[in-house]
Amino acid sequence: MIDETAVKYVAAVYGLVWVVTLAYIAILNAKLGRLERQLDEIAGLLEPGAGDA
Amino acid sequence: MVIGSQRARPDGATVAATATAVLMALALGMIFFYVPTDVDQGYSQRIFYFHVPIALTTYTLFVWGAVNAARYLWRRDQSLDLKSYIPMHLGVIFGSLTLATGSIWARISWGHWWFWGDTQLTTFLIIFLFNCAYFMLRFSVEPGERRATYSAVYALLGVGLIPLSVLGVRFAQRNELIHPITFNSNGANMDGSMFLTFLVALAAMLSLAVTMYLVELRGKRIDDRIRAIRRLAEARA
Repeated sequence: MIDETAVKYVAAVYGLVWVVTLAYIAILNAKLGRLERQLDEIAGLLEPGAGDA
Repeated sequence: MVIGSQRARPDGATVAATATAVLMALALGMIFFYVPTDVDQGYSQRIFYFHVPIALTTYTLFVWGAVNAARYLWRRDQSLDLKSYIPMHLGVIFGSLTLATGSIWARISWGHWWFWGDTQLTTFLIIFLFNCAYFMLRFSVEPGERRATYSAVYALLGVGLIPLSVLGVRFAQRNELIHPITFNSNGANMDGSMFLTFLVALAAMLSLAVTMYLVELRGKRIDDRIRAIRRLAEARA
């Protein structure tokens, strides 16, 4: 017979690791989004006639 | 020469991520379907198979950061500063997980979320807080050689605290609520199947840390390159 309380605590530990890993991926994704925006800005600077204005 | 038939070799991060996925699946399968339930602690002992590998990975990351810090001080190569910073950063993430998972395990085993009388808990907290302060120091100094040097020296100081925590559990503890001793001079204090499961979980956790390191390192390098290209583009515009 498995102790139900123990199962909850074990699930909490493994769930926490899962959530932290997902949060890390979400942060990396946000960073990739920022890099993408920076690339767009650079592309804008390099477009012909961008420095004429 | 047929260029179209050439396939790009998978990079380190892809290989590490694949290894992590396989090892993590294997570890979870062993933890929940293979390893027997501990007679003494019961089902909650399964927390051990993630908690201890996470703690050992934390130590490994701090040591890794310190080794690269020493290499930076020796060679003054800026890329080594980045290779020291990233393990320190990941060490704090894994350290937070160690504290959180340990606290949950303490609650079910000891009836308390935290126990100040336990040497290993307290020393681990000191190491964790000391390494958290690394970021306060690093980001209070302008980027450049001075920041890299201060960070490297601090990382080296922090790693000196690790033996205290590892050995702490072996020092005098007269309480009933003591940290379990997993390894002693006779080897692992557990059944063969438990030890095998622990080793697989440790490999999975180390592999996860390597994957995160490689992905974060690549992100930082791309960030640096974009800054350099931006400066050039602004100069041209």
